[in-house]
Amino acid sequence: MSTVTIEPLLRYLRRERPLCRCRTKILKPSSLNFSPKLLSNGANTSFCNFKPRRPHIIRASSTDTALLETFKSTDGFFKETFPLTLTQMVEGKIFIRLDKDQNQQCWQLSVGCSLPGKWILHWGVSYVDDVGSEWDQPPKSMRPPGSVCIKDYAMETPLKKSSDGEIFHEVKINLDPKSSIAAINFVLKDEETGAWYQHRGRDFKMPLVDYLRNDGKVAGAKRGFNLWSGFFLPKMLFKAKELPSNDQGSSSESKGATQENRQVEGFYEEHPIAKQVVIQNSATVSVTKCPKTAKNLLYLETDLPGKVVVHWGVCRDDAKNWEIPAGPYPPETTVFKNKALRTPLQPKDGGNGCSGLFTLDQEFVGFLFVLKLNEDTWLKCKKNDFHIPLSSSGSLPAQPGQGQSEGALVSEKTVEANQEVSQTASSKGIINDIRNLVNGISSRRRTKKKEAQESILHEIEKLAAEAYSIFRNSIPTFVSESEPQETPKICSGTGTGFEILLQGFNWESHKSGRWYMELKEKAVEISSLGFNVIWLPPPTESVSPEGYMPKDLYNLNSRYGSIDELKHLVKSLHEVGLKVLGDAVLNHRCAHFQNQNGVWNIFGGRLNWDERAIVADDPHFQGRGNKSSGDNFHAAPNIDHSQDFVRKDLKEWLCWLRDEIGYDGWRLDFARGFWGGYVKDYIDATEPYFAVGEYWDSLSYTCGEMDHNQDAHRQRIIDWINATNGTAGAFDVTTKGILHSALERCEYWRLSDKKGKPPGVVGWWPSRAVTFIENHDTGSTQGHWRFPSGKEMQGYAYILTHPGTPAVFYDHIFSHYQSEIASLISIRNRNKVHCRSTVKITKAERDVYAAIIDEKVAMKMGPGHYEPPRESQSWSVAIEAKDYKVWEAS
Amino acid sequence: MEVSVIGSSQATVCTSELVHGEQRFCVPRRRSSVSFFHPGTRWSNSGLRFTLNAIQAEPFRSDNLSIRGCASRSKSLDDVRLFVGLPFDAVSECNTINHAKAISAGLKALKLLGVEGVEMPVWWGIAEKEAMGKYKWEGYLTLAEMVQDAGLKLHVSLCFHANEELKIPLPEWVSRIGESDPGIFFADRSGHHFRECLSLAVDDLPVLDGKTPVQVYQQFCKSFKSSFSGFMGSTIIGIKMGLGPNGELRFPSHSRVGKSCKILGVGEFQCYDKNMLNFLKQHAEATGNPLWGFGGPHDAPSYDQMPNSNSFFKDHGGSWESPYGNFFLSWYSSQLLSHGNRLLSLASDEFGGSTVTTYGEVPLIHSLFKTRSHPCELTAGFYNTDNRDGYEAVAEMFARNSCKMILPGMNLSDEHQPQESLSSPELLLAQIRTACRKYGVVVSGQNSLVSKASHHFEKMRKNVLGENVVDSFTYQRMGAEFFSPEHFPAFTEFVRSLNLPEKHADDLPEEEEEVAESLQRSSESSIQMQAA
Repeated sequence: MSTVTIEPLLRYLRRERPLCRCRTKILKPSSLNFSPKLLSNGANTSFCNFKPRRPHIIRASSTDTALLETFKSTDGFFKETFPLTLTQMVEGKIFIRLDKDQNQQCWQLSVGCSLPGKWILHWGVSYVDDVGSEWDQPPKSMRPPGSVCIKDYAMETPLKKSSDGEIFHEVKINLDPKSSIAAINFVLKDEETGAWYQHRGRDFKMPLVDYLRNDGKVAGAKRGFNLWSGFFLPKMLFKAKELPSNDQGSSSESKGATQENRQVEGFYEEHPIAKQVVIQNSATVSVTKCPKTAKNLLYLETDLPGKVVVHWGVCRDDAKNWEIPAGPYPPETTVFKNKALRTPLQPKDGGNGCSGLFTLDQEFVGFLFVLKLNEDTWLKCKKNDFHIPLSSSGSLPAQPGQGQSEGALVSEKTVEANQEVSQTASSKGIINDIRNLVNGISSRRRTKKKEAQESILHEIEKLAAEAYSIFRNSIPTFVSESEPQETPKICSGTGTGFEILLQGFNWESHKSGRWYMELKEKAVEISSLGFNVIWLPPPTESVSPEGYMPKDLYNLNSRYGSIDELKHLVKSLHEVGLKVLGDAVLNHRCAHFQNQNGVWNIFGGRLNWDERAIVADDPHFQGRGNKSSGDNFHAAPNIDHSQDFVRKDLKEWLCWLRDEIGYDGWRLDFARGFWGGYVKDYIDATEPYFAVGEYWDSLSYTCGEMDHNQDAHRQRIIDWINATNGTAGAFDVTTKGILHSALERCEYWRLSDKKGKPPGVVGWWPSRAVTFIENHDTGSTQGHWRFPSGKEMQGYAYILTHPGTPAVFYDHIFSHYQSEIASLISIRNRNKVHCRSTVKITKAERDVYAAIIDEKVAMKMGPGHYEPPRESQSWSVAIEAKDYKVWEAS
Repeated sequence: MEVSVIGSSQATVCTSELVHGEQRFCVPRRRSSVSFFHPGTRWSNSGLRFTLNAIQAEPFRSDNLSIRGCASRSKSLDDVRLFVGLPFDAVSECNTINHAKAISAGLKALKLLGVEGVEMPVWWGIAEKEAMGKYKWEGYLTLAEMVQDAGLKLHVSLCFHANEELKIPLPEWVSRIGESDPGIFFADRSGHHFRECLSLAVDDLPVLDGKTPVQVYQQFCKSFKSSFSGFMGSTIIGIKMGLGPNGELRFPSHSRVGKSCKILGVGEFQCYDKNMLNFLKQHAEATGNPLWGFGGPHDAPSYDQMPNSNSFFKDHGGSWESPYGNFFLSWYSSQLLSHGNRLLSLASDEFGGSTVTTYGEVPLIHSLFKTRSHPCELTAGFYNTDNRDGYEAVAEMFARNSCKMILPGMNLSDEHQPQESLSSPELLLAQIRTACRKYGVVVSGQNSLVSKASHHFEKMRKNVLGENVVDSFTYQRMGAEFFSPEHFPAFTEFVRSLNLPEKHADDLPEEEEEVAESLQRSSESSIQMQAA
């Protein structure tokens, strides 16, 4: 028999992603934002990069039952063992313990983990005098053996397997009471997978300051403290709302409180974590012929744990159409929708795995099955059904009907009535599967799975968009009564779906002092290049000339020009059909005056706020608002969006900008700085045509090499978009990062994720992804994260042919790239590629990437060879240049 | 144990059936079917509902063919099967599928959303276009197959009318006959013919090359049935019989309802084609008032006028309240009723024995509902005024033919009607539904236009999930606007909102306790049933 590689896929893993993916609204002062060294190191990156190099294998030892021996000896005419790979989420705990060592002399911090893996504690300390949130290296005396220095601010210490017998890893750090360490910060890293385990997307932080004496206030560096007389783990550590196994906030707090009132004895805390592991099992199928009845006897056994149901049928020819054979069936077999039979396998005597015996008439040539582990987990053979040929050569006896015991009936959920659809047998599988998921959404809230839900909603959205575009474009045979064919619909998250955005400035644009005038002269040209949205620089008075340090929000005379020039510019842009995005810097604002302590935190101008409008957790500015709902930007006071008066003022301001200047939408600066829910508030109040947020944090790297899987990174961006309720899109930083690696290192395989979709935000939520390759920060004269030089056109060939809303950087369109970019834009417009277009990746190999978009546009990039398939369509080359090529269906 | 408990109450129900003899009451089927055939996870819910229903003990005449029952207090999408109309022009005049790709994507999207099925208009003018008896079903068969492949159910609307606005004509051969004999169409007082459907007066006259329209409709139904036999009962689960203009049971008193967004006038009586006049004359003579048989009311306003612009519809002292008024309106509305009866009995003859449900659509003519005379309803053929319930007879007629009633306008709310229109969709809907309840006619809902406005969806949700019985809901209609980004998300939200109650029930954590509880309750209920 031909042996095929088997790759049963785990269909729908229904488990929440582990904890660190949860967006937290609670902030603490340990953010890592915008610190280049941290960015490059990836200390703030998350885990979820499951690329197991050494999969954890749980294999049942082969304890064949007597029955199997029988079969072996009978020399069946078919026998094959299929490996079954099952990716499973394993849950475990992280333990954090603070206690004294045996001599009761020294305090000791232990961090442990109950999951298998190669665990590394990545940690650093904060000293008492530190004002920033960066880490420092711990003193030598604290470093456990085996620690490795990571640059000058962190340590990596491996967790050791403790002797407890269980799979428990632990590291102990001795704390030196004489040092002036204010806190220990750490994240846990799994070397096996490269995954980082944080606390709800942030570092674990363990302040070692006197909590009691300060009345609960953690006010930063100025406070006196008394080492070791108490301990304090910020409340947020306890608040693990969604996490089942954690003690809930209130109880933990009270527990903590009671402990603190006494002599401090220690501290113990657990956090649930989860990790994907690959489990290898196998299924063995053997077929023999019963000479008496001339029937085929098929014996199926597997070492899969738990209940396994065989979902099976037979076929008469190679077409492999499922058919239900005549009875009798093995015990407990049920008929599923008249299409298949379901037989639970019976546990084997040894307790390892289970087996079943099927008697099949000789008229059938094949036995088809899939294994069903639970409602949502199906094991298939390379995405297909398992197919066992039943040829009729063998003739040795076997005993039928053994190996079954009277087990309890496997309770099968009654299929929902509305799911009972009579379908022709072929090709409906996918729809059914997804349908099952939809049912999962609608009826099983407890077990609903975010990703599955999103993917379905996205699928629905995509289909609807497809239907819409065809209906809309087909010549209407009638005009419906209530619809006077108005302007195409708009929602702020996506615009019309056909936007192509130009960033209308670079880092130097303020220099001339008359940027608005200069741009106005280019308005017609910009429009004729095919753009329909332009993003203008921040318009307010600003401490820095580029505009990103706004001061008086209502003063729109900036280094780019006066308010009147701005109005004229917007007017001319509107005249040539461009929508205008204002760059709204909402996260922070520079103060006009100092307070009595000499701190710059009193604002002037029309919005004369004081320190109450500033977040409390940035010691620089002595804000008296609430803690920040996002990361802090340390160069200026961060505005506290949680307060109604602040939001009211900002909404008023944004509306004023809409009315006064005529902005059509927003580009939201530093959206990491505050909760996306507030963004929704602003968007709802201003009803923009289009809005996009800058949510920029670092991708995940392992050993300086970017990970293939950037799901965690894009998930954080998706989470933010979700928080805005989809009212705003976000720059697809993930795609940019992956393009960097792919192009720079000729690793085009990176451009497909494990599901064969684009690996960036655009692969998950294309309609909300604003793809770009460069902006004023990453490129221009700042060059914080410059796109690989010379590869820009490949980048544009990618984003301008793919779904998502592409954004072109000013420096590129007004350069020698102009004609090429313009060609790509016109290809996009001509073929009506839009933000929800479908993309089929046809090649993602080392040196070539190719994709077909909406079956209308084909593209390839990289030095490798690719030609689009010519069977169904004919293609004509639309543009061909160095290392990329685009075709149109003709 | 539990089965026997329910079984006993079922027996009681059967007894009550016998007692009631001819008027065959039966309990909503869901009760029994769920209890007996789905003893799985839904059991506890059904037990609970059983209790409610039993205590309520309100009998419903439910259709034999319906798979699900009708009465249930806590509804969800599971109870209310949601359909979405396919584009009117899904099958082109030359029997090809218009924008098939869009439809196929749309079907998939709907399936994923959890929609039960779609509604497919089948046009007389397309399927029997060229000559009488020469049917072309290919386009519709293809479409039905697409629907089946998508795993959706299908409601078919047989459209014996044309739609000029959509450029869907009557069959060519019918139009030809109409040119030489315009008397087959409705006519208004000024002699203007309404050419979108045949006058109900010719139903039984051999005006179509020697055949009567009813015979032609019947042949059409027969051919449809045999051509689609493979889909009947499996994919096609409902058939709506076209009853008049726009498929609705009414006179074309407004040449196009809803065409202008202005306030609707009273409309005009459509009794001036030669055959109608003929019938009127006969009727007048038979009732001893030959002078009343020469035409409609002379003092009725014209189409766009308001009721008070002439004396017929005046709130007080209008001739509608006079003996003549009663004579005319009774006759006029009875014409509509017997037309409806002819076609619905035809439909239940043709389709009744199979596994599909038959439907007819009754319009929701809510304009000027707040006046005493309800002029719009009167001109449309519903003799419904302050003094008289005109819908009971309609409901009775539906009941007689075991037909379910489609009611549009489930998205309309009073507060969003223009003040001056004196309209009340809510009150009218309530009235019709009361009549239906009285005669045990199952109602199927429909909206009247695609709108993204949230109050429309809110209203539909209330109408669908409320106390009143709706067995299915058809959302009209697929097309560019339906899938547009400003509408589709709202629709998605609507569909998902229908699902919420269900979700809630499934989320109850302690299943076993619940079963025990419901066991207890169902035995209680059985006691109550026996006591009652």
